Amino acid sequence: MKLKLIYSRENLGKPVLSDVISKTNLPINILEAKITLNTGEMLIDVPAVGEKLKEVSNLFQKAGLIVKEITRTIEIDREKCISCGACVSPCPVRAITQDLNWDVDFDEQKCVGCGICVDACPVRAIRML
Amino acid sequence: MSEERGIEKIRTYEEINQKIKSGDAVVLTADEFIKAVEELGLEKAAKEVDVVTTGTFGAMCSSGAFINFGHSEPPIKMFKCWLNDVPAYKGLAAVDCYIGATAMSETKGFEYGGGDVIEDLVSGKEIELRAEAYGTDCYPRRSIETTLTINDLNQAILLNPRNAYERYNAATNSTDKILYTYMGTLLPHYGNITYCGAGQLSPLYKDKGFETIGIGTRIFLGGGIGYIIGEGTQHNPQNQFGTIMVRGDLKQMSARYLRGATYNKYGTTLYVGVGIPIPIINERVAASAALRDDEIFTNILDYGVPSRSRPTVKKASYSELKSGKVQINQKEIPSSSLSSNKVAKEIALTLKNWIEQGTFLLNRPAELIPNHREFKPLEVKGREPKVRDVMTREIIVSKPNDDIKDVARTLIAKGVDHLPIVDNEGKLIGIITSWDLAKAVAQDKRQLHEIMTLKVVSAKEDEAIDTVIRRMEQHNISGVPVVDQSNHIIGILTTDDISRKLVRRVIA
Ligand code: SF4
Ligand code: SF4
Repeated sequence: MKLKLIYSRENLGKPVLSDVISKTNLPINILEAKITLNTGEMLIDVPAVGEKLKEVSNLFQKAGLIVKEITRTIEIDREKCISCGACVSPCPVRAITQDLNWDVDFDEQKCVGCGICVDACPVRAIRML
Repeated sequence: MSEERGIEKIRTYEEINQKIKSGDAVVLTADEFIKAVEELGLEKAAKEVDVVTTGTFGAMCSSGAFINFGHSEPPIKMFKCWLNDVPAYKGLAAVDCYIGATAMSETKGFEYGGGDVIEDLVSGKEIELRAEAYGTDCYPRRSIETTLTINDLNQAILLNPRNAYERYNAATNSTDKILYTYMGTLLPHYGNITYCGAGQLSPLYKDKGFETIGIGTRIFLGGGIGYIIGEGTQHNPQNQFGTIMVRGDLKQMSARYLRGATYNKYGTTLYVGVGIPIPIINERVAASAALRDDEIFTNILDYGVPSRSRPTVKKASYSELKSGKVQINQKEIPSSSLSSNKVAKEIALTLKNWIEQGTFLLNRPAELIPNHREFKPLEVKGREPKVRDVMTREIIVSKPNDDIKDVARTLIAKGVDHLPIVDNEGKLIGIITSWDLAKAVAQDKRQLHEIMTLKVVSAKEDEAIDTVIRRMEQHNISGVPVVDQSNHIIGILTTDDISRKLVRRVIA
């Protein structure tokens, strides 16, 4: 599950993420991070479900972070798709690829829901779920 | 070329058509012909294969359709008209118009354009027609509002002034901003590469000497039959940027091969499917038809430079581009196409089937397309304002160690919003805005270097104003310091300067 963490000024200096990693022993992966002077946003991938995921989420909340579950992902309309590839190289995490027949493959696990492909598709075959 | 261009040395058009009619013609797609040449050698393959088929399916902005609506009762001489709110060109007779692919809906903008109107017409959908007129003695009607489908039209003729570029430049982006261009979405810092064109399937590259392609050549166009009617606009064959002008009956075409499209923040266009049969009339044509992706090269240009002459980042082959990754500065950059390689293959195969079934004959062009054409840029006559004409030269600058409160006082007294920070030699090293200062005072910061922005967006004095306006829009800023070649500050250009000194121009 992907989580978006929102830091405020108070907790920006603290090692919240490494605390959670050492407490839960999960290999949490940072997908995207935006830090400014007094706020920060981080998109992380937590390889856990159910109780374990809840535990992770609670730990972040206790540390004062706002936690949002990211379930947004995209859908490609195969009827509309012309297999051009305009969505492929702009995807920052390479979640969209083309096979040997140039048909597009979408890897939901990798997708971070940024929406770049939605805008890049010239025939509006991709929509955000 | 010592020998006459277009010489029919191996076979004539008549011989090919005889074989097509008797079902004996040997027709291969360009992909298949490449394999045949690898197996048999060029000479033998050229003797055995009569026709090589090609295909491409990409965004072709110079496309559109001539439409004749027929006369209403009472009749109208349309002065302006719209199809689904997209304006069509009306500088023609009473009920003729031209709907261009890049015209955009007056109500939906980027969402819907002339390309979509053409796709909807071809799909048989109902289209709203709206027209205005001034009324004449012979055409009294002043307006019309009705709906129609392609079947109601007398003529719907696709006529594209420039299609099927032989090859096209690929694109990347060196800036730190995401760019939305006619080459698609370009991520910052060389984040990706986009390219166009079908490479070894590209119709015009398969006869790059233009020995068989000319006026009257029968082709696959938008799923129907079309004709080449001449060289395309911007035809530049000596640099392998040849183009063609084509025409075909829209009523025979299919939306699978004519698709309305939008390039985000750029505009609307039309994806057009084109396939050309290449008759193997001599060995030069055969050699061109046998060119592989790894023998066809194009330049990857930096679209971060918004100029007519964009710098080349790398020369790459279509096989490299199609592989999905290209090496630039020891880094692997993802590459992907904007035109559809899948549909290009499908078109080459469809054309092959038509010829094999005997429903599509080849013809000798009435006149070959020129294989050389001067390629001219547009020189803008008259003097256009440059940065140096508009910028403010009397500037206030500060040093990194200046006290924030002192600086804030000066800014307020002089009424300026942008404060460049320079080193002891007068070289630009940072910038502060009045907004940064207000924040800094509130946060009790002391010296400028604590708050200044180090990555400064700047301009040069000989740059065009429009280029700098676009740069300011991209970075969402209202002023840029102007520097010389060695980064010494010489002035500042703000949106205020621009609107004050260039009153007749509108800034978005
Ligand atoms: S939404 Fe973003 S991450 Fe997901 S597939 Fe599209 S471009 Fe890739
Ligand atoms: S950009 Fe759109 S049409 Fe092109 S491959 Fe991606 S989903 Fe398909």
